[in-house]
Amino acid sequence: MVTTLTPTSTHTWENVFSTASGAVYQCDAENCWYIDFVGKVAGFNYRCLQKLKKAIYHIDIEAKLLDTSKDPDVEIIFICACDHTYILTLLQVIALKELLQGTFVMLELNSILHDKLYRTAC
Amino acid sequence: MKDLIRIKSLLSTEVEELLNQQVKKEAISSSIYLSMASWCNRNGFDYSSEYFFKQAEEERQHQLKFYKYILDMGGNAISPEVTGIKQEYNSFREVFEDALDQEISVTQSIKKIYARCLNEQDYITNEFLNWFLKEQREEEYKARRALELFEVIGEEGTGHWEIDRHVGKIKYESDAN
Repeated sequence: MVTTLTPTSTHTWENVFSTASGAVYQCDAENCWYIDFVGKVAGFNYRCLQKLKKAIYHIDIEAKLLDTSKDPDVEIIFICACDHTYILTLLQVIALKELLQGTFVMLELNSILHDKLYRTAC
Repeated sequence: MKDLIRIKSLLSTEVEELLNQQVKKEAISSSIYLSMASWCNRNGFDYSSEYFFKQAEEERQHQLKFYKYILDMGGNAISPEVTGIKQEYNSFREVFEDALDQEISVTQSIKKIYARCLNEQDYITNEFLNWFLKEQREEEYKARRALELFEVIGEEGTGHWEIDRHVGKIKYESDAN
C-alpha cells in the first residue's frame, strides 16, 4: 500500500523524526507509522517497522563500500508479510538507516517522557 | 503522541534479543544432551543415557518457557536454528565435562540478561528469570556431582560401570533448595 502525503482521512500525523532525505510520522488513530522516503509514503505497523529496522541494520555497509566487484550497487529490502519493498542504492540505505536510528531514539525518548510525565508522576 | 512501542510490547528490543538468544541456547543445550544420551547408549552406559534424555527434555521445557514469555509480553519469539552439535566424545568423562561447561555457559548467559534487565529496571523479566536462576543451582550441582563421581569412584576396573549406576541416582535435595 503506497499512500500519498496528504491523507484523505482526518487523522493527524505527528512528525517523529526527519532528515534531508526523508521523514517518519506517527498516526495515533491507526497505531502505525508512515515513512516518507525515496518518493513514496509507506505505512508500517509495529511488527513491520521492527522488521524493517532489523533488515536495514543488518546490512553491512562497510563491506558493501569496500566491495569492488561489478555487481550493481543496489539492495532489495523485502519484508515478509509487509506490503512494501524498497530497492535502494547504498547511499539510500545509509540515509534510511540514519532516518530509522533517529526515529527509534525519538520513540524511546517519547517512552521515557510518558513514564516520567504520566505513568510514574504523582 | 502515543507511546505505541510500549503499548505493543513490554520488552525492550535489547531484552527481547537477549531472550531470543537464550531460546537458542536452551535449544542447543537440549540437542547437546540428546547427543550425549546417544553416545552413552551406544557405549553401554544406559543409566547415563537415561539421565541425559531427561536433561534434554528439561532444556526443551526451559526453551519453551522463554519462548512463551517473549510472546506473552508482546515480543517476537524466533524459532532457532540448531546446527553443528558434537556427536562423538573421546571418553566417558569428557561427556560430563562438556555437560558442566554447558550448564556454566547457560548460567552466565542468564546472569547477563538479568543484569541488562536490572539496568533497564525491567523487574518483570527479572522476576521471570528468578525461576531460572534457582534452576541453574540444581543443574550445575548435578553436573558437578556427576563429574565428582569420577574422582570418588575412580575410573579403574569396574569404575565406569559404578559411575554409570550412580549418575542415574543424582538428585539435588539440599536444605538450601
